[in-house]
Amino acid sequence: MTFFISGGAKNGKSSLAQRLAVSLSGDGRRYYVATMLSTGAEDDARIRRHIADRAGLGFETVECAKNILSVLDRAEPSGTFLVDSVTALLQNAMFPAERDYALDLPAAERCGSELVTFAGLAGNVVFVSDFIASDCERYSETTEAYRKQLAEIDRRLAAVCGTVVEVSAGIPIVHKGALPI
Amino acid sequence: MILIIGGAYQGKLDYARAAFGLTDDDIFTCRGDRIDFSRRCIYALEEFTAHCPESVAYFQAHRAQWQNSVLICRDIFCGVVPMDAQARAWRQNTGLLCQYLSGEASQVIRIFCGLEQRLK
Repeated sequence: MTFFISGGAKNGKSSLAQRLAVSLSGDGRRYYVATMLSTGAEDDARIRRHIADRAGLGFETVECAKNILSVLDRAEPSGTFLVDSVTALLQNAMFPAERDYALDLPAAERCGSELVTFAGLAGNVVFVSDFIASDCERYSETTEAYRKQLAEIDRRLAAVCGTVVEVSAGIPIVHKGALPI
Repeated sequence: MILIIGGAYQGKLDYARAAFGLTDDDIFTCRGDRIDFSRRCIYALEEFTAHCPESVAYFQAHRAQWQNSVLICRDIFCGVVPMDAQARAWRQNTGLLCQYLSGEASQVIRIFCGLEQRLK
């Protein structure tokens, strides 16, 4: 089964996604796909907070900053995968650290296709994204391109996933399918 | 009249095309302070409100012409209050127009990641 979760920052998306992944996996293997590349102390603290949140939930961590399909070579494909987050995967692909964060649009498009393919190949997947599309800021061209690419990936994933949920203040709003928990 | 709202790049126009069988000729895309109400669908109302500071009055004055229209506006309301006075006025003008139109609408639909959510 496939799930797509989005919503505003700090609204409980990751927490819902973790509970969902635990419930879906049952006695099977459950993987946390760690997508964030740390850029300093603030990110390190955030990563430590996420690790503490997951402690005791039985997740195996698979590091994957790019190309989600590579996860399937390092894990049991029939397992349950929590991908947190689509936002970070796109950022890593679209602004590669090794190229001094210069915009790479084809990589952004590849990232979307890899995520859609992954949804079709993995046992259970819970994708977490971020909703950043409802403000009136006039962003720079590069930031606007990122917002556009993220929305396009979100729409593709929402189209292929069985369940689509927006989380607001910790409350799930189900836009498609149903939540089994 | 049907009002469709949603964030940037969420698929509002794609949804309207599919749901209401719209072609390119049916769609007027706002660019300035005038609207061609002879088209069935008025898209990007947020560009109209950027150019017409009295958008509600404009719609009231042309009320008879959009009773059977599909109106589409981007949700620009969830960010921090803009520092720039012009952006603040734009956001307020757009919000007031959406409130007026949602009151008049037979249906209000929000598009989230390409999916419809019926608000009214």
